[in-house]
Amino acid sequence: MEIKDILKPSLMILDLKANNKASVVEELIKPLVVEGIVKEEKVFLKVVMDREEQSTTGIGMGIAIPHGKSSMVTTPSIVFGKSKTGIEYEALDGKPSHIFFLIAVPEDSKEEHLKVLSQLSRKLMNSEIRAKLLNATTAEDVINSFD
Amino acid sequence: MKLVAVTSCPTGIAHTYMAAEALESVARKKGINIKVETQGSIGVENQLTEGDIEDAHVVIIAAGTNISKERFSEKTVLEIPITEAIKDPEGIIEKAINLEPKIKKLNKEAEEINKKEISVSTGPYKHLMTGVSFMLPLVVAGGLIIALSFIFGIDAFQQEGTLAAALMQIGGGAAFTLMVPVLAGYIAYSIAERPGLAPGLIGGMLATVIGAGFLGGIIAGFVAGYTVSYLNKVIKLPKAMEGLKPVLILPLLSTLTVGLLMTYVIGLPLKSIMDGLTSWLQRLSGTNAMLFGGILGSMMAFDMGGPINKAAYTFAIGLGSSNIFQPQAVVMAAGMTPPLGLALATVLFKKKFTKDEIETGKAAWIMGMSFITEGVIPFAVADPLRVVPSIVMGSAVTGALSMMFDVTLRAPHGGVFILPIPNAVGNLGGYLISIIIGTIITALLVGFFKKKAV
Repeated sequence: MEIKDILKPSLMILDLKANNKASVVEELIKPLVVEGIVKEEKVFLKVVMDREEQSTTGIGMGIAIPHGKSSMVTTPSIVFGKSKTGIEYEALDGKPSHIFFLIAVPEDSKEEHLKVLSQLSRKLMNSEIRAKLLNATTAEDVINSFD
Repeated sequence: MKLVAVTSCPTGIAHTYMAAEALESVARKKGINIKVETQGSIGVENQLTEGDIEDAHVVIIAAGTNISKERFSEKTVLEIPITEAIKDPEGIIEKAINLEPKIKKLNKEAEEINKKEISVSTGPYKHLMTGVSFMLPLVVAGGLIIALSFIFGIDAFQQEGTLAAALMQIGGGAAFTLMVPVLAGYIAYSIAERPGLAPGLIGGMLATVIGAGFLGGIIAGFVAGYTVSYLNKVIKLPKAMEGLKPVLILPLLSTLTVGLLMTYVIGLPLKSIMDGLTSWLQRLSGTNAMLFGGILGSMMAFDMGGPINKAAYTFAIGLGSSNIFQPQAVVMAAGMTPPLGLALATVLFKKKFTKDEIETGKAAWIMGMSFITEGVIPFAVADPLRVVPSIVMGSAVTGALSMMFDVTLRAPHGGVFILPIPNAVGNLGGYLISIIIGTIITALLVGFFKKKAV
């Protein structure tokens, strides 16, 4: 299983409308609810925001990876989101965030899924991949960024 | 230059791996060898071996959660929030390189062997040792503070409002009362982790109140720990109510089980065993006392810090909690003579030791005086059949003498360094004689048995 297998066009928002932390997380959760991956929207939102309370997932360099582990999630999934204007996400470097990966994981995940997520996290530390993601305009571009 | 790091974050999904990647890529750029252990949702990956840690210049811990640092006690540790590792990996690597590594203390070989022994110990023995190690500071602090109150006279604490009374209240009233509960609590904690602590502490407190002493505490701790881990396995709750399990269901049910068992079933029999043991030890005199001291002493030397040594030690401090202080004197003296005896032998019989061993002998003086029995291990490993019987004999004699002189010791820790504390030792002269004679006998036997070094 590779990163590509977990990135789905139906779970991508290439033009985020939200303009603050709370609303961007809400917007990113929406496709998961539509696809039936998240059962209780409110509960999962709280899980993600609680994680943010502990320490922000805005890792700087324009990237944020809100995430949550909850029994309300049926399959491990990633929602990709991109904001043209950038969103203030309490990032470590204080700059606005443009690229979002919302990671949703069920309480009892299979190891192979978790491995893919750890790979994704590692790849995001690579500046080339980040540059490709920032320039991506289509779902395909996003998926190809990880080649 | 080699570095090692551990990364870990609360959910273990993203930061753990990003921090690892950040540190690895900076190190790669700088041409530094780094190994990063990740403790994330997948569990521990790329685990650091003992060798990795040994070779590392500095250990970097980037964690948003609590991670155990026991492995790194010999190392300089740079602890940082996990977000720092993502934000500024360069700065952190730079800082780590510039830190001074810790120099390994005392005798390397002995410590390593000792460490191996600890790492192989598992099961009930490990749980018991966890309990004992948490109890020990209470024994030492409490025992010495009680000893201090005796500076004002042995009955001075009976005068209310005096400093002597206050010291007795701190040492006897508080520290000693907590001993058995802490022992039981941390045995249970070792078995069942956090949910085990409450029923263990409560069971231990009941053992104290009933008078079942440290034996009751040990049993309460094991019952509590295994009860919690059993209940944790069998009780299945609907997801929505799962949060109630660790705070309400497990503590309530396990405490009831342990509490009722202690009160109605095992408390009284244990109390009578404990009372029997106490009065037997109090009546011990003459040959019997010396025999007892000899056996306890030889156990201390037999495996040099291993399970038999720890069993004898646990027994002695357990009795300390019942205000019987002779066994504590026996175990400390008998634990000091093996390294002291070998140290003396390296001076008396230079020809029977290699150059390295003579060097090790110098460290053995310090270890012996500090009551680190393990200081003798390098010698014992090199020539077990001749060294072990010698140190067992020496320790047995020391133990027997200590009992004969009716020496009491209020805190079995610290070696010679606690001897000057007023009233810590009852019959200090007798104690020193016991230790010196044991040391000489050990040295002479080693000299007699050992062949010339090649």
